Amino acid sequence: MKRGIAIISAATCLLLMGMAVSATAADKVRGVTDTEILIGQWGPQTGPAALWGAVARGTGVFFDLINEEGGIHGRKIKYFLRDDSYNPMKTKAIGKEFLEEIGIFAAVGGVGTSTGMAVRDYLMENKVPWVGPPSGSANWTVPMHKYLFAIYPRYTDEAYVLTQYAVEKMGKKNIAFFYQNDDYGKEGLKGAKNYLEKKGMKIAAEVPVEPQDTDLKSHVLKLKESNADAVILWVLPKHAAIVLGTSMAAGFKPQWIACSTLSDSTLMHKVTKGLWEGVVYANFLDMESPLVKKYLEAQKKFAPKEQETGVFFIAGFLFAEPLVEGLRRAGKDLNPDSFVKAMESIQHWNDWLGHDCTFGPNERQGMKSVFLSKCGQGGKPEKISDWLKFNTEK
Amino acid sequence: MGACYALVALAMVIIYKTSEVPNFAQGEMAMFSTFVAYSLMSSYHVGFWTAIIATLLFALVLGFLLEMAFLRPAKDPTVLSLIVITLGAEMILYGLAGWKWGANQNPFQVPFSEYSGFRIGGVLITEINLWTFVTSLVIMLLLFLFFRYTKVGVAMKAVQQNAFAAKAMGIPTRRILTFTWGLSSVTGAVAGVLIAPIATLDTNLMMDPMLKGFAGAVLGGMTSLPGAALGGYLLGIIENCFGGYVSLEFKSVVAFGLIVLILCLKPAGLFVKHFERKV
Repeated sequence: MKRGIAIISAATCLLLMGMAVSATAADKVRGVTDTEILIGQWGPQTGPAALWGAVARGTGVFFDLINEEGGIHGRKIKYFLRDDSYNPMKTKAIGKEFLEEIGIFAAVGGVGTSTGMAVRDYLMENKVPWVGPPSGSANWTVPMHKYLFAIYPRYTDEAYVLTQYAVEKMGKKNIAFFYQNDDYGKEGLKGAKNYLEKKGMKIAAEVPVEPQDTDLKSHVLKLKESNADAVILWVLPKHAAIVLGTSMAAGFKPQWIACSTLSDSTLMHKVTKGLWEGVVYANFLDMESPLVKKYLEAQKKFAPKEQETGVFFIAGFLFAEPLVEGLRRAGKDLNPDSFVKAMESIQHWNDWLGHDCTFGPNERQGMKSVFLSKCGQGGKPEKISDWLKFNTEK
Repeated sequence: MGACYALVALAMVIIYKTSEVPNFAQGEMAMFSTFVAYSLMSSYHVGFWTAIIATLLFALVLGFLLEMAFLRPAKDPTVLSLIVITLGAEMILYGLAGWKWGANQNPFQVPFSEYSGFRIGGVLITEINLWTFVTSLVIMLLLFLFFRYTKVGVAMKAVQQNAFAAKAMGIPTRRILTFTWGLSSVTGAVAGVLIAPIATLDTNLMMDPMLKGFAGAVLGGMTSLPGAALGGYLLGIIENCFGGYVSLEFKSVVAFGLIVLILCLKPAGLFVKHFERKV
């Protein structure tokens, strides 16, 4: 309660400050000067989702690298990172700060679906380009927003592909779905059901989990009773670890299949004390790309303390790569509309960690493929499929 | 899990009994201590049992320190202001742990198996379950004996009944309060160490168990040690039955629904005979 009041008063202060500053030169482009481009990102550096906060710090190192290489058309990127603790109320205040106090040109990344939703319409109304929200929610692209460019493959599509792979390539017949009881989990569930319905199959069990639960015995019982031979996980890393442990104790050993949010196999192997071995999961960050070496060196140089942070840090590079490409293509004369044109010209672009980035006048979902990996011995990821592309049209 | 709730409930009640303050920093104190055990084992390669003993000592000191640093300086405190202080302590500990150990999930290794154990009538009791259950029973028994038969224990009860009179009788009430915090902190730390192997260790480790423990304490009675413990067990059972037979979506809500129900029907708690008020 006390925290809530503090946030509200902080937000009010920011609002008032913003009003005082707003009436400056109108012909200048917001967030662009002769020497700088102002870019902002929010991300949970504290609180329950702080694990994913590494994304925003990774983006910072990526911008350091770009600046070191000379910037973009003579401009350096000035990066503003704000902590929202995964709390939409705070994200909203940060959005106001970004726009009215700092005056950013564009936003990048921004972990979380509900946090992003708190500022989506505000950013769009004010023509703030936003590239690469790090979640696979359909909210970014449906309906289409002119200034919003999504990169993360949609959860529905990802789940569709994973289910398809389980049935067609692994020969699984009875598939259960264990999901977080919110948009994140439900969109995944929808994708899996879409595929199964198309095949005339039935889902073995749909088991929801609340984000705060720590005791998953009854959940595992439900999964076990369904006699599933494969269980797809659309949950937090914590729940993935608990459900694998509890299932092991209950003697339930299906093939586990996991969403891309659980793709840090080294970390998952560690927290599950080895149970993660053999789990198949989706991935869209190509660690075999030649760019990885350069990025890891940048990580060593600009963030020497982050060597242990894992895959989410590098994901922060990935979500910002198309933004930088767009800024490059937009040329010296940069404004929100020239930027959108430049982004729309990105077609089948592969000079990044992702795959086949394609935007267009009516296309705002940049990446539409994932590849699958299997967790090998000691948590080592083993690639088991090529890029699997899916059609985002219904 | 019920046994862990019971331990958290006990830890809550120990403090509540003597000072009528529900300690909201309880969960974070336990989480912090569990992290200390984790660090000792993973970074300094200390053996499990040594680490546990060191951790329990640490928890004791942590409890002392918190009481002396935060609660004691409060001048003429009302119960409400003390509660707010515990909330503040909770945030400080949470922030500190996040800064020190980061946000990653950590595996908590224990020398007994989480996956195998004994079969009783078709139901598998894993070693860790058994340990949890036995440990909680032992701790309850120890606490019971402590409050019944030791001088300090009796003094604690006296402080709860009437702090002023206790002081007049020569009981160092302040020191007794500090001691309760230490005791409660140790009980909480045991719960933390028992939960972490299954739930994996991060800074949010105790968020859910702490709320459930609190609910268990309210269910059983905030002023009764055995009541709170039973309340914790009961809650664990009710919750899982509800999840298994009715709805998983509302499993976590059951605890809070129960609190409301109990507060309406029997505000002192299920296992407390009559509601005693301090005069």
